[in-house]
Amino acid sequence: MAAAEKSTKERLMSVLDDLEVLSRELIEMLALSRSQKMPQPGEDTQILELLVQRDKEFQELMEVAQQQGKVHQEMQLLEKEVEKRDSDIQQLQKQLKEAEHILATAVYQAKEKLKSIERARKGSISSEEIIKYAHRISASNAVCAPLNWVPGMCQALCISHWVLVKVHVQLHSLLSYLKGDPRRPYPTDLEMRSGMLGHMANLSTNGVNGHLPGDALAAGRLPDVLTPHYPWQSSDVSVGMLPPHHGNDFGLEPPGHNKENEDDVEAMSTDSSSSSSDSD
Amino acid sequence: MESGIETCVLVGVLRWHEQARNRFQLELEFVQCLANPNYLNFLAQRGILRDRSFINYLKYLLYWKEPEYAKFLKYPHCLHMLELLQYEHFRKELVNAQCAKFIDEQQLLHWQHYSRKRMRLQQALAEQTQAQPQTAPPHGNAAAK
Repeated sequence: MAAAEKSTKERLMSVLDDLEVLSRELIEMLALSRSQKMPQPGEDTQILELLVQRDKEFQELMEVAQQQGKVHQEMQLLEKEVEKRDSDIQQLQKQLKEAEHILATAVYQAKEKLKSIERARKGSISSEEIIKYAHRISASNAVCAPLNWVPGMCQALCISHWVLVKVHVQLHSLLSYLKGDPRRPYPTDLEMRSGMLGHMANLSTNGVNGHLPGDALAAGRLPDVLTPHYPWQSSDVSVGMLPPHHGNDFGLEPPGHNKENEDDVEAMSTDSSSSSSDSD
Repeated sequence: MESGIETCVLVGVLRWHEQARNRFQLELEFVQCLANPNYLNFLAQRGILRDRSFINYLKYLLYWKEPEYAKFLKYPHCLHMLELLQYEHFRKELVNAQCAKFIDEQQLLHWQHYSRKRMRLQQALAEQTQAQPQTAPPHGNAAAK
């Protein structure tokens, strides 16, 4: 509809053109009427009427144009306002985005902190227990060599190219110097054989000739009193402690993959056998 | 009749408990034996480290790393050995006696680390105290002159 209507400018121009034409005709007629006497009596009034009509139209159109101009000005003002508001909104949007980003980071870091607090609390052990345990493993020389520990001759030969051995030989320790201090950071043969495992093994292979007191006990030649009791068995400490459940058969593949296959993309086939069934 | 069933159940539970306790003791001893590199070499040479069920058993033994179980270990080196034993490469290497000897030497050296450090500190302290009385007399002589 708007396309069919002519714009105010065009209408004004057309009216102006009409006015021009009409006034020219009128003037021509007036000029002619001077020389000739009234060729067409009604025409000049017609043209006058048309002229007046056109003039009225023209005035109306001018009014319309004025109003349109005002409206256009208002529109421009409003547009400016709109632009300003737009930029305000965009600014706010940017600030909100920044704030959201900062908050998200803060929340994430807080969550991480909470996670690590949880982990720390889960793994917390009383300091008294730690000190007790530290004392137990240090006093028994399991993690720190005794101050007077001397390696034997063969041991000294093995490690002499790394360590300069200071020799303090006393008469009563001459033998121990030659043999070396038998203490080690791991259970020795003697200790291993005198434990539960050693007894079980000796029971199955009865009659094995052993040179150690543990073996002699297993073969039934020594009384119980002489069994060397090594504190690594800690039977008194571990009263009430039970191992975790496991299925009887270790032959089947446990669920999950072994460490050497960590590079493989596919997990190994899981015939999961580990149920919480009791042994026997 | 019911008390009979109850006693049976009780006896069963007690027996199970005792068996579990024995198993605990055995596993405690065995896992600590793993700290001995010579024993590991012994196991490797008999092909025990290649057995699938033994490898699974070693994985099962990792429960000794938990604090409530680890506090019973007297020889904590065994935990490190247990971790290394999870890798096939390490198990293969242990067949060599030289490998076991090297591990033994390194273990002993590490074991002696703190005592040696302490000895060095004591020596340093002794040297310091020796040096101080020696510096005092020359001043005394100079003053006398």
